[in-house]
This record gives sequence, structure tokens and C-alpha cells, in this order.
Amino acid sequence: MQSKYKVGLLRLNLLLAALLPALMAPASANLTEALLLWMAAGWLAVSAVLVEFSHRRPPLVPWQLLPSLLLTALLLTAPERFPIWLWAWAALVMLPQPAWMSVLNLLLAALSWGWLAHAMPPEQAAFSGAVLAALLLLGLSRSRDLAPLRGIARRRAHLAPGLRLWPRAQLGRDLPRERARIRRDGVHGELVLLRTGRRRFWHQAQRLCTLTRSFEHCYRLDGRTLAALLLSPDAEQAEHRRAELLAALGPIQRLRATPLSRIVSLADECRALERQTEATGPAREVDHG
Amino acid sequence: MAELQHTRLHAGLYALAALLLVVQAAWFYLVGDYDRILLPALLAPLLITAALMRLGQPETARLSAYLVLVCGYLLVAMELPAQSSLAPFWLGLPPVLTLLLLPLGPAMLLNLTLTPLWLLLGENLLDLDLALGYLSLVMVAGLAPWEILHQRSLLQATDPLDEECDAIRRSALHDRLHSECERAALLHQRLAVLVIHLPQLEMAGEQFGPGARRALLGSLCDTVARCSRDHDLLGREGDADFWLVLPDTSESGALLVRQRLEEALHRAVLLDTGPVETRLTDCHLRHGESPGHFMQRLQATVQRQVNG
Repeated sequence: MQSKYKVGLLRLNLLLAALLPALMAPASANLTEALLLWMAAGWLAVSAVLVEFSHRRPPLVPWQLLPSLLLTALLLTAPERFPIWLWAWAALVMLPQPAWMSVLNLLLAALSWGWLAHAMPPEQAAFSGAVLAALLLLGLSRSRDLAPLRGIARRRAHLAPGLRLWPRAQLGRDLPRERARIRRDGVHGELVLLRTGRRRFWHQAQRLCTLTRSFEHCYRLDGRTLAALLLSPDAEQAEHRRAELLAALGPIQRLRATPLSRIVSLADECRALERQTEATGPAREVDHG
Repeated sequence: MAELQHTRLHAGLYALAALLLVVQAAWFYLVGDYDRILLPALLAPLLITAALMRLGQPETARLSAYLVLVCGYLLVAMELPAQSSLAPFWLGLPPVLTLLLLPLGPAMLLNLTLTPLWLLLGENLLDLDLALGYLSLVMVAGLAPWEILHQRSLLQATDPLDEECDAIRRSALHDRLHSECERAALLHQRLAVLVIHLPQLEMAGEQFGPGARRALLGSLCDTVARCSRDHDLLGREGDADFWLVLPDTSESGALLVRQRLEEALHRAVLLDTGPVETRLTDCHLRHGESPGHFMQRLQATVQRQVNG
């Protein structure tokens, strides 16, 4: 619950931050300046709408790059109005980002410092440059802090807190283990692939998680494909169960079920789902054949 | 390792800042600006002290951040009235420095309370546009540490693995144990859990540092991974308490695993702490027992183990 609370505050902070450049925009000397300020306000406001406590929408690189470009443009167009914002580079560098983007941010920071330094006496320029470099390094060390954690953990973390939905990489690891277990236990296990519409995806993912038993894991393969590992005492009951699940899930585009013992690779299954023309046709054939 | 790098980088940066101040003082001397030599000359030894403190215990390390912050504040406060044309530029330094050195909460509070002070300090700084610019800098720069916090707590809420070792964390362990109980009930199987306690862990951390602690945890996780099957599940219930969930395992099977594990762990000798000591107890899911009740029984076993 504490985490939800944090997201609310973060959203408030983003909205407040969006309000300030919007208030500054009317006092601009020319159109470019005003436009840039409005864009900055817009970026912050849209970010405030998008922020949520899950891995559903990892931040896209172009979206993350935009504030750096905006800051550079603002410092280049109106160096006499916003010199104070040069220090914001230390904060931008602090954000979790790929290594090449850190390098780009450092270059842009150097460029805008050089632009501002023109108007300063040389000793002040040198001193400010050294201080800025120190702050950038401090900021970078903060961002590197989280970087190794992020890459590895993303591949095994489930996608939203409280939802039993795992990423595709996890299915690759679970598949052989689950197959071995099912053989030992002597039960029927199958991998069910579901193709839903993009817009209904999260709704149906939630339905799938509530409809399956807690030991039957669910996975997100891509933006519109869900997978689940279902267990039943035998093939007949599995089919019965699948039909029930389908009825409860509501309309889906395609479904493919394969007994775990027959699966060669996950990629093959996904291709087969891609080729499949009927909604559920071949699944049954595979089942009995 | 990362922590150590961090410490060294920070200490190095503080020392470099001290050097920068010495250079500045020398510059003032060369151009004959004798009035302004005093401050950088006084602050340089202070920064050296901060660099040394950063290398010390965590408590003094935190103090060193405040020391650096005070130095930065004093420098900017002296600079602001002196040069009116560059004053708006230097005004941006204190809030960003605060955010870089302090945790988010105190930093934001300090920045917002100091806003009027900074704006009044300069001669011609009381200007709406500049005030707005300062506030947006405070707000926008504050978003960066906030995003880091957000990402970290998200990972904590969704990543099943513990931060220190290869066991799964407590919340994930409880979820998985619940689902394994359900599975065992459905398939009419047995379920056993080995409750493992590492009595040396606390002592290892206190006496030999985090490295020894990690080595002990790592050796437990590796040994368990070697002695158990692919679908057995090691989870961290408390700081030094672990549960090894053994699906479809009878009482004699669990006993066998326990003996094997005890032997293997006793053979593992670590540099600082010597042979790994463990206390192991096996518990079994009773027929018709609810997962909640089973979990309570396991927690009672953990308590007994910790006490002796």
C-alpha cells in the first residue's frame, strides 16, 4: 500500500513540475522559447499520466531522450534567461539510462556549458566547468547504482505487483522444470497460448491469473499473447477445463494448447500460433493425435 | 564491491573539490583580490576532512555529505552578492548539490525552505521569472532521485529473488509455499519443508564485514542448489532463516535431504568463519492441513530454532 502512495506523490510532483514551465512560457521573448517551455511542460504532464507502479510500460528511449534535447535547446536559444538550468544536467544524468545515453547527456552538458561559458570571465568559466564536472560525476555514480540490478531483474521479475504474470524469459526457464515434474507426478500438463487484442490484453491477463490455480503460472509473451501452464489429471479433463476457461475469459482471437511432453521449443509454438487460421481448431487435433 | 567504489569515488571527488578551492585561492592571490582568499582557503581543509570522513564508518560518511553541503552553500552565498551578472547562474548550484548529496526527503525540504533565503541574498534576484526558474529546477531535479526510488521499490515488489543471495524473498516464498500446498492437496502428494537457521550469520556480518556475510549466504545457497532437485525451492524467511520447500517428498526423503545437506554444509569451510554451522529441522504438511496453519507451524519452528 505504501508503494501506491508513493506513485500518487510522484505524480503530484510531476504535475507541479509541469505547471512551472507553463507559467514561465508567457514571459518568453520569442516563439521558439515559448514553444520549448510548453513542450517541457507537456512532457512532464504526459509523464505524470503515464507513471504507474508496474513493469507494463518500460520507459522508451526516445521518450527519455526528449528532456535532454529540450534542455539543450532551451540553454542554446535563451542562455541569458535560463543559465540556472545548466545544473539540471546533474539530475538528468542521475536517471537510470543505458550507457550510450549517459555519454550523450555528458556531451550535451559540455556543449551547453561551452555555450554559457562564452559570456563569462575565463576564470569563472573554468571554475563553473570544474564544479559541473564534479556534479555530473556524482550524478552518474547514482545512476550506475541501479543499472546492473535493472537489466537482470527485469527478466525474472513479474510484471505488476500482486499479479502472477511473468515475462517470456521466465517461461523458457520454467518449461523444462515443469515438464520433468509433470512426468514424475504422472499428470497431464499443457501449455496454452492465447492471442488477445492489444487493448484487451491487460484485462484478459488479469482474468487469466484469477481463473487459473495459484501453482499454474501465467506469462506475457508479447504485447498480445498470453501463455499459461495448466495441470489436469488427464487429457480429457484438460480439454474440459480449457473449454471452461475459454468461456470465462470472453472473446479471444486464437488459442493453441500443446501437451508439455510434445513441446520442442517455445519459439516453434509461437510460430505455430502465428500460422494457425482457425480460432481453436488444431489445438484439439494435437491433443488427441 | 559497488559500495566500496562509491565511497572511493565520493572521497576522490571531495578531495578534487578541495584542490579546486586551493587553486581558486591561489588565483585570488595572483590577481590581488586579497579579500576573497579567506573563504576558499578555509573551506579546502574542511573538504579534505569530509573526504577522509567519507572513507570511515557509515555514520561519519553521512556527516561528510553535510559538511560538503555547508561548504557549497557558503561558497555560493559569498559569490551571489559579489557578481551580479552571474548570480542567477550560481543560484542553481545549491539545490542540485543538495539533491545529489542528501536523501530525497530532506533534500526537497531543505531546498524549498531555503528558496526565499537564496533569492533575498542577491541584490537583483527578487524577480518572478527567476523564482519560477529556481522552483522548476528544484522540482525537476527532484524527479531524478524520485525515479530511482520508484524503480527500486518496484523491483523490490516484483523481483522474486532476494537482494543478498540466490534464495527467493519472503513474500514470494509465502506465495510459492501456498501454491505448493494447493498443488500437493490436488495431486494427493506429500510436501516437506526443511527449516534452516544460520547461527553464524549475524556474527559474521558484525565481525568480518559484509564480504564474510555474503560468503556465508552464498555457500548455503550453492550447497542447497547442489543437494536438491531442480524444482525444490529455497526461500529466505528471515535474516538468517531459510525454508527449503520440497514438493512430493516423504518423511524419509526429507530426512535424507537433511542429512545430505548437513554433511555438505559442514564440509564447506569458509575463510573467516570456518565450517558453516546450521540448524536444520524438517516439517511436513499434514493431511488436510490448511496452508495458513502449516505456515504458522513453520514459523513456530523458526522461533524454536533461533532460541536454541
